[in-house]
Formats: sequence, C-alpha cells, structure tokens
Amino acid sequence: MARVKTYVRPMQGWWRKNPYYVRYMIREASSVFLAIYTVILLVGLYRLTQGEAAWDAWRAALTSPGSLLFHWLALLTVGYHAYTWWKVAPKTAPDLRIAGRPLPELVVTAGGCLATLGTSVLVYVIVRWM
Amino acid sequence: MQSVQTDVIVVGGGGAGLRAAIAVAQSDPRLRIALVSKVVPMRSHTVAAEGGSAGVIRTDDSLDNHFDDTVSGGDWLCDQGVVEYFVAQCTAEMTQLEHWGCPWSRKDDGHVNVRFFGGMKVQRTWFAADKTGFHMLHTLFQTSLRFPSIQRYDEFFCADLIVEDGRVQGVVAIEIATGEFYLIECKAAIICTGGAGRVYGQNTNAGIVTGDGMGMAFRHGVPLRDMEFMQWHPTALPGTGILITEGCRGEGAILTNKDGYRYLQDYSLGPPDPWPRPKAMELGPRDRLSQAFWHEEQKGRTVATPLGQVVWLDLRHLGAATIHERLPLITEVAKTFAGVDPVVAPIPVRPAVHYTMGGILCNGQTETPLRGLYAAGECSSVGIHGANRLGSNSLAEIVVFGKVAGERAARYVKAVPAGKSEAARRQADAVEARLVGMLGRDKGERVATIRDEMHDAMETGVGIFRKADGMQAACAKLALLRERYGRGLKLDDRNRAFNTEWLSAIELGFTLEIAEVLAQSALNRKESRGAHTRLDEFKERDDVNFLKHTLAYRTGDGPPRLDYAPVTITKSPPKTRVYGGEGKKAVMT
Amino acid sequence: MADTRTIEIEVLRYNPEKDSEPHFQTFTVPFTHDTSVLQGLQYIKDHLDGSLTFRWSCRMAICGSCGMMVSGKPELSCHTFLRDYYPGKVRVEPLNHFPILRDLAIDQTDFVKNKLPSIKPYVVPKQEKAVSAGTYLQTPDQLRKYYQYSQCINCLLCYAACPQYGLNPKFTGPAALALLHRYNADSRDRGWDERAELLNAEEGVWGCTLVGYCSEVCPKQVDPAHAINQNKVNSTMDYFGVLKLLMPKGGA
Repeated sequence: MARVKTYVRPMQGWWRKNPYYVRYMIREASSVFLAIYTVILLVGLYRLTQGEAAWDAWRAALTSPGSLLFHWLALLTVGYHAYTWWKVAPKTAPDLRIAGRPLPELVVTAGGCLATLGTSVLVYVIVRWM
Repeated sequence: MQSVQTDVIVVGGGGAGLRAAIAVAQSDPRLRIALVSKVVPMRSHTVAAEGGSAGVIRTDDSLDNHFDDTVSGGDWLCDQGVVEYFVAQCTAEMTQLEHWGCPWSRKDDGHVNVRFFGGMKVQRTWFAADKTGFHMLHTLFQTSLRFPSIQRYDEFFCADLIVEDGRVQGVVAIEIATGEFYLIECKAAIICTGGAGRVYGQNTNAGIVTGDGMGMAFRHGVPLRDMEFMQWHPTALPGTGILITEGCRGEGAILTNKDGYRYLQDYSLGPPDPWPRPKAMELGPRDRLSQAFWHEEQKGRTVATPLGQVVWLDLRHLGAATIHERLPLITEVAKTFAGVDPVVAPIPVRPAVHYTMGGILCNGQTETPLRGLYAAGECSSVGIHGANRLGSNSLAEIVVFGKVAGERAARYVKAVPAGKSEAARRQADAVEARLVGMLGRDKGERVATIRDEMHDAMETGVGIFRKADGMQAACAKLALLRERYGRGLKLDDRNRAFNTEWLSAIELGFTLEIAEVLAQSALNRKESRGAHTRLDEFKERDDVNFLKHTLAYRTGDGPPRLDYAPVTITKSPPKTRVYGGEGKKAVMT
Repeated sequence: MADTRTIEIEVLRYNPEKDSEPHFQTFTVPFTHDTSVLQGLQYIKDHLDGSLTFRWSCRMAICGSCGMMVSGKPELSCHTFLRDYYPGKVRVEPLNHFPILRDLAIDQTDFVKNKLPSIKPYVVPKQEKAVSAGTYLQTPDQLRKYYQYSQCINCLLCYAACPQYGLNPKFTGPAALALLHRYNADSRDRGWDERAELLNAEEGVWGCTLVGYCSEVCPKQVDPAHAINQNKVNSTMDYFGVLKLLMPKGGA
C-alpha cells in the first residue's frame, strides 16, 4: 500500500462531532467532580485526626457559598456518573441468564440505580437521625 | 509490471477457493499458494448463502437417497459417477467444517441438526441458523489464516490467464488500489470465481458475480457446459432480488397467491396437506416452483406491487420462537427491505436468477481440458447439478470439490517443470496494453447502457419460459451488444488507482460473452428439461435426442460453436420426474 | 414512478492521483420509498459521474463491504434509506479512523492483515480430531455462549465508531477482540493461553474505555463492548492466577 498516497484525517475535535461522544465526554468529566469530592472527604478525615478545632473549621468551610455551589454540582454530576456506571455495568458482566433467558440490561441498570438511590437515602437518614 | 512466482494460484476467495487453498497447504506445506481475489475473501458471495448444506447423517437416510434426489432433481442431466462420489463426501466435509469451528445448529443432545430442503426425501441439510454460507465462509477464511503457505492477494482483479505450450502458466492481475499490473506465474491455477447471475437484471447475486473466471477460461479455448440452465430461486424480494431462503419452506412456510390459495397444488406438486411433506408442494424443486409463479402471473392470480408481481411466503403459523431462532437473517431482511415482519405478515416474493448450473467444463476431479487449469464451485460444471440444482447441494459442492481441486493441483505441480517466464511476460504485456487502452477513450457508450440492454434482452428472451423467436431475438441483440462493446466504452474515470468503473467495464466484457453462450445454448436445446423450459414446440423432455450436455466453444467475435457430449448414466436410468403425490407427513426437526 | 422525488447527496471525494486533500461534491439523485444510500451512489456512478468510487457487493447487509459515514454516523449504505434524510442533504464520507484510498474506499489492511490474524481466529482444539470420529457434541446452551459474537461481518463500523482506535491505531479494536472472545467461549476451543498475551495487553482489552459506541453501531448486534469488557474481569483473574480455578473449560 505504500505506493498509494492515502489521506489520513485528523482526530482534532473528534468528540464534538457526534452527540454520543459528547455524552461520553461529560460522563468522563463527571469523574473529575467525583475525584475532587473524594479529596474533600479525605481532607475532612484528616482534620478529624487533628482534633475538634480542626474538624469544626473544616465543617465551617463546607458551608461557604463556593463550597455549596460545588457540592450541588457534584451531586448532579456524580448522580449522572452513577447512572452511566450502571448503564455500562452489564457490559462488564459475563452473559447473564435467568431461567434460560438472557437477563435484560435494563434490569441490571434499573436495579443498580435503585440500589444506589436506596443506599444513599439510607445513609442520609442514618446520618440525620444520628 | 510486477512479477511473482508461485506454485498454485487460486482465483477467487470464496468457499471453494479457500477450501482449495487449504487443501493444497495441507497436502504439502512447502507448496507456495497465491490466493487471488478481487474482494477481501469474507466479502465473497458464499457469504450470502442462507439455507444450508447437504450431508447424509440420519439413520433413516442413505447415500442412495441423496443420489436419487440429486439425479432426479437434475432431470437426469447429471453425470452420475460424479454424483455418487459427491454424496459420499458431503458428510465428511461438513464434519471437517465443524471441527474448524462452524457453528452448526444443534439438537438438544448436542448433535448437529438437519432440516428438509426442496426436492429432498429425507432431512439432510445441515444449517447454521439461516446464515449457513456466512458461517461456512468465515470458518474457512479464519481457518485459512493458520496456513502461512497461503499468500493472499486481496483486491487483485484477475483479468486473464497466461497459457503457453498448451498449459496454464500464470494469471495477469490488477492490484485494484494502485491499478498496477501483476504477472503471477504458476504451475497450476484453480478457478473458483463463482457464477454469472449478473447476466440478468433481477437476481439474488452480489455485484461481483459477473462470471470472470468462466469468461477467462472460455477465451482460452475451454468450453462452457450446459450454460442454458440458470436457476431462478422461487422466493426473492421484488425489486432488489434479495434472497429469502428455501430454509423457510424447510421449516414449513407456505406459498399463497392473491386469493390466499396454495397454488402449487395446481402444478402437480400437491395434494396440499396442512403439514409439510418432503418433495411436495413448497418442498418441491426450485425450477418447478419458479415455473408455477410464471403460470400464476399469466393467469392474473399474483399480487401487484410497485416493485412488480409477487406471491406471498407465509411463515406466520411457524410462530415467533421458531422464526427468530431458525430464521433470524430473513426476519431482519424482510423487515429492512420489504417493511414486513414475517411473524405477523407474509413476505412478498417472486423468482429471481440465483444460480448458474452450467460452467467451465471439468471432469469429476475438477480437471478442465486445459492442462494445469482446474475449476471448482459454481463457476464449474463438474456434473452434479444437471438441469436443475437442489438447494443445499451448492454449499456442499464448494467444499467437496474445492478439496479435490486443491489436492489434484498439488499433485500435478510436483510433476511439472516451471514455465517460460519471457513468453509469459510477453503475453502479460499484451494484456496490460489492451486493458490500459480502455482508459483513454472519451467517446463511446457508458457501461450502464450496455449492461442494462443486456439485462433487458436476457429477461425478455431467455427467461423462466423460453420460445424460439424470443431466444433468437436475444442472440441477435447480444451479438450487437458485443459489437458495440468491442468499439470501446467511454469511461469517466481515467485513474489507475482504484478505478472501479474500469473494472466493471472489464467484467462486462466477460458477462456479455457468457450471456451470448447462454442464449445460444438455450436456443439450440430443442427440448424442455429442468430449468430450461420452452413454450414453443419443444415443451417436453426429449431423452432420445437431448440426453446430452451442451458444450460451447469460443469462435472469436462471433457466436459460440456448439457441440454435445454424452451424460454418464450409472445407477439411475431416466424416469419421469415426479413430485407431490401421496406420502407420509414430514417429521420436522 | 409516481412517488419519485430528488435528494441531494454530498460525497467526500479524494483522488490520490490529483488531490492533496479531500473535498465535498454534491449530486442530485432521484429516489423512491425504498431507495438505499447505496442505490443512490450507484445512480451517480451509472449516470452522473462514473469516477465515484465505493465498495459494495451483496446489497443485503451480510458481506460487510459497504460501510461508510452517513450524515456523521457509521452505517452500511445498503440498508440505510434516503427517505430517512429527506428533505435534508445526505452527507456521505468514508469510514472514520481509516486512511482514505479513494473517495469512499478506505484502507482496510490494518484490520485484514494485522488485527484479524493476530487474535488467532480459529479453533485450537485440545487435540486434533479425525473427521472419521464425527463432530464434537455442542449443546444449544454451549452454542449460545459464543454464537452472538460469531455474527460479525467485518464491516468495520465499530472501528469507525471507536475513538480509542482513532486516537491510537495500535488498539486491537472491537471486532477483533469480539472474535477473540468468540473463540475463547467456544466449547471446542482450548486456545486461551495462546491468545492471552494479546488479550491482556494495553492494546488488548485494556485499551477500551467503554465508550460503547461500537455496540451502538454494530449492524449485527454482536455487542463488541460486552465481549471486550467481560474479558477485563477474565484478564484480571488471569493476572492473579485464579482464572483456571474459577472457569475450567468443560469437556466437549
């Protein structure tokens, strides 16, 4: 093939050309919010080990307007992240069959989302009640 | 021009070509093999075959049954010695494919399942859902990758044979991507280029089925045998001609006309039992079913659609489970191309040209009269199909005779010396000059014009039913078209690199010659037999004068010279060809 | 025909003998309710411009020849219909992520000559079995374990869909990895070890970030995303040496 002058199209801006890819990039970007949130929690854990004053200061910082804005965005994007996680989860499992019929992907996705929601509500109730 | 030396060339990378290449490789890994195909092998038309491949495995079946079904199916024009050999090899070849990974459909106990097919007394058609050709081709192609001695030349268009000293010494091929010419020298060549269905307009065939190999062999003095026998598959979609497999009928589907009437009972195929019966009604042979459609159309009992007259192929009574499990491809095809879900509505179908029973003359060992040239698969006339092919005998044919061709060629090349390169080179240069010369013209007719007129002539004059005056008109028109072609076509595309307009013009040259052979052979067969049926004074089979093969030899620019050769009868003397009648209910598997 | 209308087809042209880069050319084509994009291109070639170059063969979505980008999405042109784009234009381009040879014909050699053979796409049996010994037994359940993955027609739409392949052509890619899984999952095959190095490599299953567009565009519902990502679990278990413990290959 070396003798033929083939043309290689550039990949620049590839993800903007198809709505499927845009959704994929948003999905991937949501993990940035998840990562930042994880770091905030880890910092809080560390502050806990430093004593009550440090812990209270950390908690106070969380109530700032910037922090509230971040946390609301994080709730949305991490929620979306969880949904897309469960959407692709069936692809990582082997061919699942129930009573000889293939398990529909919707069952795994819906079940997973419900379980995530349910666990989140449970944790919220426990924390609030404590 | 590039030069390559090899031992065996296989032209065509479909089922027969791949099987032949593997057979050469297995018989001697030191032999060099060049597999030359104008498409990447998995695109070969074997891929579109649907229903299945025959091989006796049931205890209530026998080789004699398969033999009898095939010979009577061929209206006694088969060479029976070759049929005897063929039926005895089928099961072993199907088993070999299974070992190589072919996903045959199974019974619950893990054994291979077999289904009924048209014209067959007992179930013996192995099937892989309704995509048998697809699975066989991919199995063969992927298995061929195990053999490093098979050197592939993908998307190389074989344009001519090199014949020197009365034997094949090479091929001239065009590397499609660049337009560069290659002289591939060999000691033996196996032609596996498939049929010539694109001689007609309405056909189930892919665009590549243009009879190139038949044309090449023909131009070098090899006769084409029994070309008048073209098979119309009874159930193809109107418009596109896309195939709806006989496997539907093997599962129990029925054909009805515009009154919802199972019309086949009017054509000696009945009685119409409410259940399927082997060799009766919808399980009759293809030529009879296609002819029945023509009669129904004449009587005004077919259904008019924007794409032509049709009848209904009704699968609804089979139920969604069976349809989705056994016939997933045609379900998809019917929905996509006809807008019909076969679970809830019948599929509109009509006959379309499907298979070329005739082809390059060869004996039962695939040897053609030209030394060093072998032919296997649909491009060949090895003698098993006679005047009408039974469904599922073709997928079996390609592997049985692909293997024979490979083994024979392998043995032959060890016994012959290499050819004369300079003489081969001079011939190849002449071929290149001729073909490159086609690129320069800015005056002349377009490819599509000649092609469409050829299609009209064939559909009108050499259709399912034929008359002397119609065939004569077709012969005259085809001679004229060959002349117009010979004056040169105008090509928009002047490139050397990837010039598919140029290639289709070269293909048209082959197809036109084959069309003329077909029409002339048909005109001169003054009887009706199998797929060649006449409505003039020759309505009956004539075993006294025409129990013989037609051989067509090229004479240059004029029509072919026809000769005849005897048919080999061994165990089955010609009888009346009877289907339908009283019989047992089929046990569907 | 009463319902014949016309539609504009905008095609990306590239002639290696004349062009330094591709450019669009628009044609006006008559069509009816069941005219496919392929038939539209054939009309152009037959009547308007014989130099328009594209691959096609079976016309029934089984040979895999006619893959191209139709209005930005990878499709088989033989079963994509002009009526679904009317009255807008149809934009036809060669499959993404492959070098263009000419017009709509791409260079397929990376798949056909490298990726496909590299995964050893053939049965590696426990021991060679004579044909006279008959077929292997394979129950419908055993067939179901791999059958879906054997449906691939090698049309390359999934490679055109996969941005990882586009960004890094060393990635083995969806179709090849699905075929790899097809053979591993076949009860007659014992080739896991021979294919393991490729499967476990960065260019193997780990090159996939589960974009999932490959499975979206596959015309045969092969679901290569599933084939690849379930093997990430297998690959991990293989890494920790527990694969053979948990998944012994049954007898065949």
